[in-house]
Order: sequence, then C-alpha cells, then structure tokens
Amino acid sequence: MNYKKYLASTGTTVAAMAFSASVAMAACATDGLPASMEMPGGFPERALTMIVPYGPAGGSGQVAQAMAQAVTELTGVSINRDHKPGGSGTVGMTAFMATPADGYTVLEHIDDASSAHALDSTRPNPAKDLIPLVISQITFSQIYIRTDEDRFTDWNSFVEWVNAQDGKATIANVSKEGSMERVTMKFITDATGMKIQQISFDKGAPRYGALAGGQVDALFEQPGDVRSFLDAGKFKPILTILKEAPAAFADVPSLADVGLEFEPLFRFRGFYAHAGAPEDRVKWLQWAFQKAYCEKSYQDYNEGKFMTLIESFRDTDGARELITSTISQYRDVYKEMGLEVK
Amino acid sequence: MDAFTNFLNGTIALFSDPVGILIFLGGVIGGMLFGAIPGVSMLTLAAILLPFTAHLSAEHGIMLFSVIYCTGVYGGAITAILFNIPGAPENAPTAFDGYPMTLNGQAGKAVGAAVMCSALGGTISAVIMMAATAPIADWAISAFGPPEIFALVFFGLAVAASVGAKTLWKGWLSILAGLMIAVVGLDPVGGIARYDFGMPYLLAGIHFIPTILGFFAVSEIFVQAEKKVTGVYEAPELHVDFPSLSELIAHKIAVLRSIVIGFFCGILPGIGATLAAFMGYNEAVRWSKDRKAFGKGKLEGVISSETANNAATGAAMIPLLALGLPGGALTAMMVGVFQMHDMEPGPLVFINSPDLVWVVFAAMFFANLSILFIGVLETKTIINLLRIPFQFLAPMILLLATVGAYAVRGLVIDVVVMFVAGAMGFFLRRSGYSVAGIVLGLILGKIGEQTFAQAMQMLHFEWLGFFDRPIALTLLIAGVLTTLGSAYTAFFKKHHH
Repeated sequence: MNYKKYLASTGTTVAAMAFSASVAMAACATDGLPASMEMPGGFPERALTMIVPYGPAGGSGQVAQAMAQAVTELTGVSINRDHKPGGSGTVGMTAFMATPADGYTVLEHIDDASSAHALDSTRPNPAKDLIPLVISQITFSQIYIRTDEDRFTDWNSFVEWVNAQDGKATIANVSKEGSMERVTMKFITDATGMKIQQISFDKGAPRYGALAGGQVDALFEQPGDVRSFLDAGKFKPILTILKEAPAAFADVPSLADVGLEFEPLFRFRGFYAHAGAPEDRVKWLQWAFQKAYCEKSYQDYNEGKFMTLIESFRDTDGARELITSTISQYRDVYKEMGLEVK
Repeated sequence: MDAFTNFLNGTIALFSDPVGILIFLGGVIGGMLFGAIPGVSMLTLAAILLPFTAHLSAEHGIMLFSVIYCTGVYGGAITAILFNIPGAPENAPTAFDGYPMTLNGQAGKAVGAAVMCSALGGTISAVIMMAATAPIADWAISAFGPPEIFALVFFGLAVAASVGAKTLWKGWLSILAGLMIAVVGLDPVGGIARYDFGMPYLLAGIHFIPTILGFFAVSEIFVQAEKKVTGVYEAPELHVDFPSLSELIAHKIAVLRSIVIGFFCGILPGIGATLAAFMGYNEAVRWSKDRKAFGKGKLEGVISSETANNAATGAAMIPLLALGLPGGALTAMMVGVFQMHDMEPGPLVFINSPDLVWVVFAAMFFANLSILFIGVLETKTIINLLRIPFQFLAPMILLLATVGAYAVRGLVIDVVVMFVAGAMGFFLRRSGYSVAGIVLGLILGKIGEQTFAQAMQMLHFEWLGFFDRPIALTLLIAGVLTTLGSAYTAFFKKHHH
C-alpha cells in the first residue's frame, strides 16, 4: 500500500516509515565499509569542527547535528558545529576555505554550492576544490495544493486552471536567481506553457503558511519539509518531479506520467573536507562519515525527514558524479535563461 | 473535555512528576540567566540543549524549550535597563526608557515594571493560547499575507519616526539610515548582491544584534567615558523601589494595548517578539499626551515594550502547535525537538498527543507566573551590579558586548560593525538623531523589503492591488495619516513658536 492510500485509510504515516526503512537498510547493508578503522597517526587528536553555512534550526543545521552525533557515536570523536549563516551559503564556504587544510575542519553544504559554481566558476567547485566525504541526503521536489482546494484537484486540472488565469496564478517558492526551484519551474512552465507567478519566500514557515492560508495557489517543496502537512491531510502533492514516482507516492503523477521530459534536479546535502588535506586523514574522514550514515540514529533521522524514499547515499565518487552532472545541467540552463555565466 | 479541565490535568501532570518539576525549574532559571547575559541568549542555551533533548521524553523536551522561551524573553530586559545592553533584539525598546530611568536613579522601578509586565503579558498570552489556538492560527495565516505584513511594517516605521529624535526630520533620516543598512547583502528575491564591496562576509548583510550592541551599549560607554574624562560623570543613584500598584493601574491601557499588539505580532509566522516589542513601544508613544517624555525615562515605555514582547511568546506557540509553522528561531528549534521524538508539530499533535500539549501549555502559564516571583528576588540582587565603579564596569560591558557580537555568527566583521555602530551612535546622539530609529529601520527594513517584494509578486506588480485588501489598506492609510499628522504637528509648532 502506498503512502497516499495509507493516509487516506488511516491518517498515519506508518506505511511510509516502513517503506523508507527498508530502502535505508538495503543501502547500508551494501556499503562494504570496515566496521572500524585505525586513526592515522592518532588523527584526530582533538574535536573536529564542522562549519555549517546555515542556522541551527533549518534543514542543514539539523542534518549537521544528526551527522555529528552519528560520527561521535561511531568514533568517539566530538564535532563542534560552527554555524555561519548568510549569503546563501557563501559566508560559510568562505570561512571554510580560510581554515587550515589539516582535516580538522569539515564543511556541510547543500546543492546551492554546485549551482553557485555553475553560475560563477570563481566560486569553489565542490567536486574538485573540495573532497566530498559523503552525500547523506538526496531528495526530490513536488508541487502541492491544499487538500480542501476545489478549483482544481490534480495536475491536469491545475494546469488547465492556471492557463485560464492569464498569469494571475501563484506558487510559493524559494525562487532565488538560478536556484534549483527556479530552474525546475522554468522546465515545467516551458513544457506546459503555463504562466504562473512565483512568490519568493526564503523561509519555510511563511512559505507553508502562504499555501495553508490561501495566500498562494500552490507550493513547490520537498516532501520531508512538509511532512507534517501531509500527515495532517492539509496539503496534497499533485506532481512528483521525478521521472518515475517512488512507491510511497505511487498515486501522484511523475514527470513521465504527465508527459514532461526533462532531467529532474535534486536537493542534496553532504559533508566535505579540504582538497589539500593529508590523504590518510581524508580517508579516515571518508570512512567515518560514510559509516556514520548507517548508524541507527542517523537512519532514524533520515527516515523522519522522508530522505529515504530515493537513494540518499553517495560516497566520494558518487558525490563527485552527482555534483559534476548537476553543475553541467545548471550551466546549460543558465545559458538558456540568458544569465551571465562566468 | 473543556480547556479548563485540560489545563488542570496538564498542571497535575506537570507538578506530580519530580523530573518534570526539575526540568521546569531549570528552564525558568536558565532562560532568565541566558536572557540576561549579553553575548549569550536563550537561543544559545536552546542550541546547547537541543541534542540532549533526545534523551528526555518528548513532553519534557518540548516543555523545557517553551519555558526557556518565556523566561528568556524577559531576562534580556534586565541588562537593557541597567546597562543599555538589550539581552536580545526584543528587549531593545525596553532600553529606550529603561536605561534613562537607571540614570535617573529609578532602576528598581524600571526592572520591577519589567518583571510585573512580562509576567502579566506572558500569562494572559498563555491563557488566550490555551483557549483558542486552532481558530486563531487559521485566521492569522488567511488574513495576513505579505501585503498586510508590509503594511504593518510601514505603519510601524511611520510611528517610529517620531520616537527618540529631536525633530521629525531627523527621526525620518534615522529610519532611512536604518533602511539603507538593511539593504546590504543579498536581496531577498533574486539573491543579487548589494553593497558587498567584494567582501563575501557582507553578502550576509549587517546583522542587527551587533548593530544594537554598538548603537546602545558601546555608544553609551563612549558617552559615559567622555563625562568621566570631563569630570561631569555621576554614578546613577541606586534605588530598589518597585512601581506601586497605583502606578501600574494608571498604565492599564498601555498594558492592555501591548498585550493585544504583542499577541497579534506573535501569531504571524516569521514576525514574533521583536516586532511586538517595537510596535508596543511605538503605539505607547503615539497615544501618549506627553510624547516628548519618551526616551528620557518614562515608565510607560518599559511597560509597553516588556508587556508586548512576552505577550508574543504564547502567541508564537499558536502557529507552531496548530500548523507546524515556527515564528522565530527558538520555535524553529522546537520543531527539531518534536522531530527528535518522531513527531511533527501541527494539527495532529492535538489529536495524537493532547497530554503533551496541555503539559506544555500549563508549563508556559506557570513559567510566566514564576517570572513574577523569581524576578522580584533577582531584581533585589542583580541591581547591585550598578555599585561597581564605572572604570571597572565599562570594560566588562565592552567585553560582554564584543563576545556577544562575535557569538552571533562567529564573524569578526560583526565585532567591527559593533564598534563602527558605537562610534556612529556616539556622534549621532549628540546631533539629535535617533539610534532607536536606525535600529528599527534595520530590523523592520529587512522584513519590509521581503514582504514588499512578495506582495508585489502576489499583486502582479500592480501596486493598486493593496487597495483591494482591506487590512493592508487600513494599515497603509493609518501610516500615511500618522506621517501627515506628525508632519503637521512639527510644522505647526515651528511656526507657532
């Protein structure tokens, strides 16, 4: 039974939890990493520092806390989180690049670092200028409407209704220049011919409140961030921005189901070391962070955030591949959008 | 089961559990302490405690955070009044009149008023929260979108122009200076860099906490140091007289007004206690027959600000619990506590965990009441800090302010910003400009710019669309009338003289 049907019948999320747990366990069972690893030359002799370019309460702050806890549980090494929010992650990245490349400082960052490099190649390339230790959260986006909405009830009727509004329909979005959200919305509007006004909300609560309160007609978001609204039956997804719908959202049309043909972009969060850090220390960090992904506390956290509906794990090589393809995709779109790509 | 019975059950559950009582008391004292010490805040305490809440029950973890929220908002008033260092931005308006009261030898009265009004505002807010969480939350998010919030900000700025400056013209210039500072950094819509001068750290904008510390604490140290050097410094007289009951009753309208304003601001997601405190103070000035007395040590200023910011605490729990929408940083951390226990705040909490909700409600009610009792004891002791000679006190304040500025984001530039603001504040205050106006322009400017951009997008860039939204239109008209009224008064007085 899929998530939507289960919710309809019981109003709870147990089915989704069970489904996501099975995906997560499968990922960890095949990681092939040793159970323990000797600390190279005693490294680390003191606590690590994790620079987080966002505040402690948001998605990055929470994943940083969960991963730090899991690494500590696994290795006994403490991690101090140093939040440096601002400038869409620029401040944290700049601060990280200024720290010594000795392996003691790691960085948490999201896909914004990749899109920033795609737009401006003087910004660090996370696949080359940094060493990805692990990508521990990968998720997809969906379009949501209110469950009690009566002007439209599914994707097709939504598109029809939007087209009848002559550009007056609205969707709440992050919508910063070149963001994953804005680029994806360009894909969708180009393909459907929809004219829809995107309203920029940089914080989650006002964004979700805008849909719940009827200030906007739809919402662009990732499922983990609006899980409480889904559980409560307040929001419902009408489009999953993936080529094929995941089992938990089998009843929600995917891109292929509605005839949209573009490569979906993902929201991902991961952890990085300096490119110039000593090789043996980097190897230990890779082991610690990848292994920590499989710790129960981290898996529980990811499950609660709907981060196991698709494969959320990438090791260093997998992360580089994902980041490089993402950068390439963004760059092509930016050029097409007429943005100045440096 | 009615609300009162639920409340009784929550109270019994809270006080029949020894661990719960310990956590409750720890939260009350910790919130007051961290709120009162500049450089750290209730957010610091919450961030430290967040991982540990995984080891508490969901009930205890969420109750702890809600108690810290109530008492932390009050705690910052003490340093605002005694040393002109607001413990948090929501205590900044408290310093406008609280610190002059200290200089006038009325520190006890100011702190006493803060204690009583914080307790009163918070308790009444908690009662309203218990009575009608769900319908209020639904009303707030449907009635107040970006156009209405922008109009509210405009109205707030219009009122603030007449606060603290020698002339209306200087008041507006102060506000505009704050608005100018607010636009440094990435713009809230397109993410376009502005006024960063190639410095990545400026992309994050000028943070208001170092700015507040600079304009209030550092500039005050400079002012007092100059007096010391020129031999005109006088240590403030120390009195621990509390405000009398008749004095408080005389301000009943101000208290009621601030409760309404604070509660109203608190229920708007993303707005919260800071705007509540400024709006509460501004409205006190607007409705006063003696506007000129504000900023010089008027008890009503302290009462209005402290009532409003604590009234926002109960209100901020409404969108969090009813809808899962956190109104500020601390309530956002509470979402983290819920999630650590495999729960999500929102309508299902009332259905799935009613016991938890009512224990939290009861804890918030009693936390606000405890401000009264613990605050009275605290006041009689902490006020003695004023006995420390200036030459020792000033470096301590500067040190605390420096730590506070750096602790916000761990950026040295924030310390630089604080000292620059301190120097600017020193000269601007001499010239009759309002440092409060600058700070308000900075804080409200960020909210105002964002909501204006969102409103214009929603209205399809047709500004006349504001006229189709009655609440926004009313607030905009009120703002325009306030501006015209104060301009007329200023012009009339000038010619009359």
